[in-house]
Amino acid sequence: MKPIWQSILLLSVLAILALFALGLHNDPREIPSPLVNRPAPDFATKALDGQPIRLSDHRGKWVLVNFWGSWCVSCVAEHPYLMELARSTRARSDFLIIGVDFKDTEQGAAHFLARHGNPGYRHAFDPNQKIAIDWGVYGAPESYLVDPNGVIRLKHTGPLYPGWFEKMALPLLQSTPSAQKEATP
Amino acid sequence: MKQQSSLLFALLSLLLALLLAAPLYSSTRNEEASEAMVRKIARDLRCAVCQNQSVYESNSDLAKDMLQIIRDKVQAGEAEHAIRDYFFQRYGDYIYLEPTTEGKNKILWWAPFVGLLLGAIALWRAILRWRTPQKESSLGNPSLLTPEMQQRINQDLDRTQL
Repeated sequence: MKPIWQSILLLSVLAILALFALGLHNDPREIPSPLVNRPAPDFATKALDGQPIRLSDHRGKWVLVNFWGSWCVSCVAEHPYLMELARSTRARSDFLIIGVDFKDTEQGAAHFLARHGNPGYRHAFDPNQKIAIDWGVYGAPESYLVDPNGVIRLKHTGPLYPGWFEKMALPLLQSTPSAQKEATP
Repeated sequence: MKQQSSLLFALLSLLLALLLAAPLYSSTRNEEASEAMVRKIARDLRCAVCQNQSVYESNSDLAKDMLQIIRDKVQAGEAEHAIRDYFFQRYGDYIYLEPTTEGKNKILWWAPFVGLLLGAIALWRAILRWRTPQKESSLGNPSLLTPEMQQRINQDLDRTQL
């Protein structure tokens, strides 16, 4: 009788300690996105180039939606990788990048791109962060990978790092068939 | 004549004042109601960048823009639960300052009471065990003593002068 109780007590204390240990690695500032594996909220707005831009026009391709702003310090750190990624994926017909410049001014964005380099892809302009809030964005930079059916498959909070595409995105890009059945309108 | 004109002037100015005040009054009434709704929703939503402040209290840009979105939605006639749900769909559980009692959160709400109940049962059983005399022990039960042991105890008892 007694040893059973003791081992149950020991096990539950260990279990609680293990949960605490796991919890220590959580970032309290990171909010898990419920949008992953859900249809991406569409946006149709003016792009920084003055022309209209609409996300759903790019169905059939994987789209990396990158939220940034000229006021964001981490975006400066991330920028060289985005330049590199845009260059190395330009030849791909199944992938493109769209930036969302939020809580920004057009002059600020133009100045940022002139100073840190223009990666060449288009940017939706979102001055009052309507799109950003619609996507559950709470910081910058944040990146979402949207599959050809318009479903968000991945969210990355913080700057993308060199090798991110090969490590996180490419395995998904190569498994497109599975995305077909997950897509719900 | 003079009296009449001053009366007319007084009436006209009163009318003017009422005309000026009327739209102000009616619009504030309306705005007050919708602002109260905005406040009610925003007080329950957590600002996503400041951890423990509500959208209503926070001065962060994100919270201000969220407040504006709530205001737009209230003015568009959306229901309170629809607006709460809009943010929940995008930010998850995190967005509510007061955690909901739905789904797996139920475990968090009820586990302490279950623990308390289990503890009470364990304590009750322990108390029962302490109170009942322990018949099984070798000291309490003379029949478990070997004859030699019994003899020694008797010898010792005889030797003791009470």
